[in-house]
Amino acid sequence: MKTKLFLIIYSAVSLLGLMMLLSRENVYVVGAIVLGVLLLGHRELWSLIRHRRMPVIDERVRENLSGAMKTTGIFFFIASIVLLIAGNFDVFKNISTSLIIAGQLVVVGFVYLLSYHYYDRVRPSLGTRAVRVLKVCLIVAGLSLSTAALSIVLHNFFSVWIKAEEGFFMILGLIVCPTALVLSLLAGFGVYLKGLGASFQQGDPS
Amino acid sequence: MKTRIKEYRARLGLTQEKLAAMVGVRRETIIFLEQGKYNPSLRLAWLIARSLGVSIEDIFTFEDEESAPV
Repeated sequence: MKTKLFLIIYSAVSLLGLMMLLSRENVYVVGAIVLGVLLLGHRELWSLIRHRRMPVIDERVRENLSGAMKTTGIFFFIASIVLLIAGNFDVFKNISTSLIIAGQLVVVGFVYLLSYHYYDRVRPSLGTRAVRVLKVCLIVAGLSLSTAALSIVLHNFFSVWIKAEEGFFMILGLIVCPTALVLSLLAGFGVYLKGLGASFQQGDPS
Repeated sequence: MKTRIKEYRARLGLTQEKLAAMVGVRRETIIFLEQGKYNPSLRLAWLIARSLGVSIEDIFTFEDEESAPV
């Protein structure tokens, strides 16, 4: 009990110290770190508020945590590469670096939250078909995002080459791909919410 | 994987919460185990069987035609 209390106090003091050190200029990063801590520790915080004790970590939780960490790590790696490439092409020349880092940290936190609950509740509650639909939605979203980026590059290339506004890649990159991205994300989120809702209705209290 | 945890648990008058506390897992783990949506480790299977006073074979049945013994 003393160790737990010490850890909580230590974490709070460290977080406050970090906030004080960073808050002078990088206020976005501080906000992102606080939000990230809340997202990463949502299980513990929820259990402490609801049951006044730390949550049980059993083998299933360990498997889910490891799955979520893996997914989040892969996402963080890909997002970092994309941001670095985009930064090299001066895409973010009017946006401050701290805001970009903050945005990435928050998105990574949300990816962790979504993937943890996917492994913990959504996947076991959905049927094989629904899981397949969810995977297809995510693949379509990823493909449309990369195709949109590629289309813009190809549009610029062909426009310079033919010395006129190129039409096909412009429509593909600015209308078709973003629409596919939004639709697939909405459909995927719908399936996810369906699974999450079903998981809360499962299990009798007996 | 088919389980008879619910049946044996009901015989002993145990709730999911109580069984979960006995074997040191979350209630959700017991729920998914009972529904056959989670394959437990050998350790957890053994702990559950011991808590219910039966053998592992009594509560877990592996359904796979290809690997079924001839």
